[in-house]
Amino acid sequence: MAGFTQRLPPPRTALLRSITDPRSTEVLDRGLVLWFPAPRSFSGEDSVEFHIHGGPAVVTAVLQALGSVPGLRPAEAGEFTRRAFQAGKLGLTEVEGLGDLIHAETEAQRRQALRQMSGELGRLYQDWSDRLKRCLAHVEAFIDFSEDELIEDGVLNRVDVSVSDLQAEIERHLKDERRGERLRSGVQVVIAGATNAGKSSLLNKLCQRPAAIVSPIAGTTRDVVETALDLGGFPVLLSDTAGLRDSSDLVEREGVRRARERVEQADLTLVVVDSAHLPSEVDRAAAFLREHLRSVLPDTDRCLLVLNKADLLPEKQRQKLDTELRGVSGLPAVRLISCQTNEGLKAFLTVLHSSVKTLCGDPLFGAPTLTQARHRAHLQRCAAALAQYQRYRDTDLALAAEGVRLAVTSLGRITGRVGAEEILDIIFKDFCIGK
Amino acid sequence: LLLSPVSRHVGHLTGHQYDVIVVGGGHAGTEAAAAAARVGAETLLITQKIHTIGALSCNPSLGGVGKGQLVKEVDALDGLCGRAGDWAGIHFSILNRRKGPAVWGPRAQLDRQRYRDFIQSELLSTPRLTMVEGSVEELLVTEPNPEEPGHHRVTGIRLANGSHAISARSVVLTTGTFLSGSLFVGQTTSPGGRIGDAPSSAGLSHTLRERLGLRTGRLRTGTPPRIVKDSVDLSLAKLHLPDSHPTPFSFLNTHTHCKPEEQLPCYLTFTTPGVERVVRESLQLNCHIQQDTKGPRYCPSIESRVLRFPGRSHQVWLEPEGVTSDLLYPQGLSMTMPPDIQLRLIREIPPMRRAEIHTPGYGVQYDFVCPTQLSPALQVKSTQGLFLAGQINGTTGYEEAAAQGLWAGANAARSALSMPTVTLSRTESYIGVLIDDLVSRGVTEPYRMFTSRAEFRTSLRPDNADLRLTPKGFEEVGCVSSVRYQESLRVRNSLQDALTALQALFLSTSSWKKKLPSVPISETKSTLLTGLDLLQYNDVTFEMLASAFPESLSSFMEFAQRLKIEAVYKPHCDLNKKEIERIQREENMSLPQDIDYFSLPVSLSDEVREILDRVRPSTLGAATRLEGITPAAVVNLLNYVRVTEKKKETHRNQRQQEAQRDEELCANSASLPQ
Repeated sequence: MAGFTQRLPPPRTALLRSITDPRSTEVLDRGLVLWFPAPRSFSGEDSVEFHIHGGPAVVTAVLQALGSVPGLRPAEAGEFTRRAFQAGKLGLTEVEGLGDLIHAETEAQRRQALRQMSGELGRLYQDWSDRLKRCLAHVEAFIDFSEDELIEDGVLNRVDVSVSDLQAEIERHLKDERRGERLRSGVQVVIAGATNAGKSSLLNKLCQRPAAIVSPIAGTTRDVVETALDLGGFPVLLSDTAGLRDSSDLVEREGVRRARERVEQADLTLVVVDSAHLPSEVDRAAAFLREHLRSVLPDTDRCLLVLNKADLLPEKQRQKLDTELRGVSGLPAVRLISCQTNEGLKAFLTVLHSSVKTLCGDPLFGAPTLTQARHRAHLQRCAAALAQYQRYRDTDLALAAEGVRLAVTSLGRITGRVGAEEILDIIFKDFCIGK
Repeated sequence: LLLSPVSRHVGHLTGHQYDVIVVGGGHAGTEAAAAAARVGAETLLITQKIHTIGALSCNPSLGGVGKGQLVKEVDALDGLCGRAGDWAGIHFSILNRRKGPAVWGPRAQLDRQRYRDFIQSELLSTPRLTMVEGSVEELLVTEPNPEEPGHHRVTGIRLANGSHAISARSVVLTTGTFLSGSLFVGQTTSPGGRIGDAPSSAGLSHTLRERLGLRTGRLRTGTPPRIVKDSVDLSLAKLHLPDSHPTPFSFLNTHTHCKPEEQLPCYLTFTTPGVERVVRESLQLNCHIQQDTKGPRYCPSIESRVLRFPGRSHQVWLEPEGVTSDLLYPQGLSMTMPPDIQLRLIREIPPMRRAEIHTPGYGVQYDFVCPTQLSPALQVKSTQGLFLAGQINGTTGYEEAAAQGLWAGANAARSALSMPTVTLSRTESYIGVLIDDLVSRGVTEPYRMFTSRAEFRTSLRPDNADLRLTPKGFEEVGCVSSVRYQESLRVRNSLQDALTALQALFLSTSSWKKKLPSVPISETKSTLLTGLDLLQYNDVTFEMLASAFPESLSSFMEFAQRLKIEAVYKPHCDLNKKEIERIQREENMSLPQDIDYFSLPVSLSDEVREILDRVRPSTLGAATRLEGITPAAVVNLLNYVRVTEKKKETHRNQRQQEAQRDEELCANSASLPQ
């Protein structure tokens, strides 16, 4: 990983390092890194340990980054133990204990996989796997039988089409904006806005407890306050941030920097505005809000506009804003609420819930999504292997077939194993083989 | 030679002690006998008729896709069939020529008579090998040697028609389709394994099943009618020419016996709707096809072809049977209907409108021994000294039989000479794939080799079989002559030198462009490229590089094609290497054959214990490939292997082990598994 590009740390010494995604160079976490050169490691091979923060989002990000490094892949169940054993590193009692542990783990994985496989995602992977196996069977039939048998030349052309379709589908799936992983690790919702707009009050309302300190003093919140909550069945990681303003206070400036960083990483931003600051005329209010949003967010695709302190507005203006600001072009969904009187909160929650639901991808509707970083790693490998097919299609069919084999194996690690006999079965079902 | 190598009278053999007896003179038996003798065993080959030794019972051809790899590997281990093919071949072609060298399929049409002559003369000139005519009535079975696993021990054979007993330390059975074989033509059934030969005695089958308790199954196969060549109008079929430059099978041969211009063509024709009609009308007259015995899916009779894929036109190859033969072999027309209907059927195919049948086609049903009862040395696990090879193990095809025969013969000899048996990994050879598939998975239908069965197909190529197997065959098995061994070392060193020379050519892309102006080298790459990198380009041949750099490369011209292939596959083989090493490590951990899995004091589920008990995998690698074996079970088995190995070690060197253990503890406390 990035920390090691200049020099290797001393062996078996815990060092605090930034852990960086080698492709995006994004800092994923700061954590302890330990290096165990062979043979003095658990498995007897060169090993690196990353001790990172336990949040699923961080773990997933690090696993994904590792998976994108060529030559790295997730270990199979029991693989560390097996390697350790082969290097003569394990005592007998340890192997016994680990055997049981692996059994428990693989059982859990199996149950988890079963749950996933019975869902729409499972059907999608199964469908890909079936199509890939068919591609492989047809390529293998072309290799093993076409000289003797009537296997039409069209077979390979059909495989070409299937392979490029599959490749496109898998790549589209990989770019699904991590919806499935969000479902597992929580949607990152960030509350942002000017000072004293009532951001912390909103956080406290949403999590129904005084998680953040609220006061009438602008700039009360200086660091990010995080709280996890369940929003109608969807996991949400809600962050309250420091109010955005120029400040000469060093601590507050750091708080504002962190707030902006959070907003950039957010899946959804709730921009809170003090309604009392709005111009009374609707057109001017809309222009004001547009301007304000620009100062908070890079783009307004993933945000909700929350006009707080609605109780401070005259009844007439309140109704006017509420009805006329909806559907104004260039503005996201707008809701008037009052954290003081709870006015509009219920309607706001409905909007928030549906946004979160869209981000997660409803498991019952819409396109199925990835649920595991592990899956992602295997799917990336699968897509890369299909590219190998295309590279060698016209020059060396054995190497092209190797690409499809790798793709099938990668997908097989998600859906279950694939043996040579299974491929032969497809060959014999689809072709009349007679020599 | 003290003993006459061929004897039609067995009287003087009684009481003689052989190291190895091979029963059967087909592809498996001849390779087994020759390999056993090469390893150094006094060997006796017993067959029903001396003059049918080396006969091609079915198709007059050798090799093909997947099968060609087996022939190359048998040759690399100094077996017979590759050289016999080079001698007897009358039409050579490399199948899959356009699909990548890893899946090229060297193949030849053979002259039956020349093939048989070659095999017979090779066997006659093989030291330590005696051949005798006879029919084996039963195996001599005694109590096992208590030092070794097994419930029985085979000590020789007894011949039929008399009570001649001949003893041997090892017996290899290669009885092909003769084990309880029955022949089918139309509605008639008669005992036998091949038309024109006497059936083998029922005693052998009985010994295997009743006395040794082996599980057997039944399979079927068939052969087409032979057609009188002059009665066929070949102008109505499509001419199929051989390669203009025949490529020999054997690594020792630079050319084939048959001159390029003397090769004979094959002909291609197709079935018509009339063929399907005849099949359907005659179904009730066709016993063989009505039985539900498992037949091969990939060498099906014309009956099963048209029944499974109706309404289609099926290929029929008309192949020569030899230079002087006046027969044609109609590949794809195996059939078992009554002879008069066979004639009606073939006359539905245009070039054969007026064809005459010389010998009708027929079907064979025969017993095979479920091969999961064998070790990777092809020895029956429960019976010391008994080895099986060929169709008796549920395979089909000459090449599959030859490969097993060679391996069983070599191991039978080693076992007889008190040397440890040897195994071939599926990571290093198709023979290893074949044997591992047989002994770890068993068969449900006649097993045939395909390239798709080999996981590491890109490493196990026909071109490098000598590098993969010849040194091992000489150094570890003892079945390779020193002449061949020296040649393989010369080839290996030359290839290595050539690759080094290629890698030493280290030029910028612009210099390469100047040297090879016709090759599209992208200049955007400012990197340096080696000659090996260049050789991976589609348009670059070794000849081109050698003419650009004659001083460093021209001495390797004889290996031009092999070097090109090596260069293209090298990156992929390097990628395979890690996985291959993992599998080999696991295959090196042997599981004792006499483990009682039900009482093994490790944590295994009952289900896993049952699977292990039934299959008795011989290595941890084989165990991991079994269906139903969990990762946890593998770890616990590892544990067991380790315990047993430790115990052995303890006797040898306790102190060294303790020191090692301290180091382990040290490493374990340093890091824990994730």
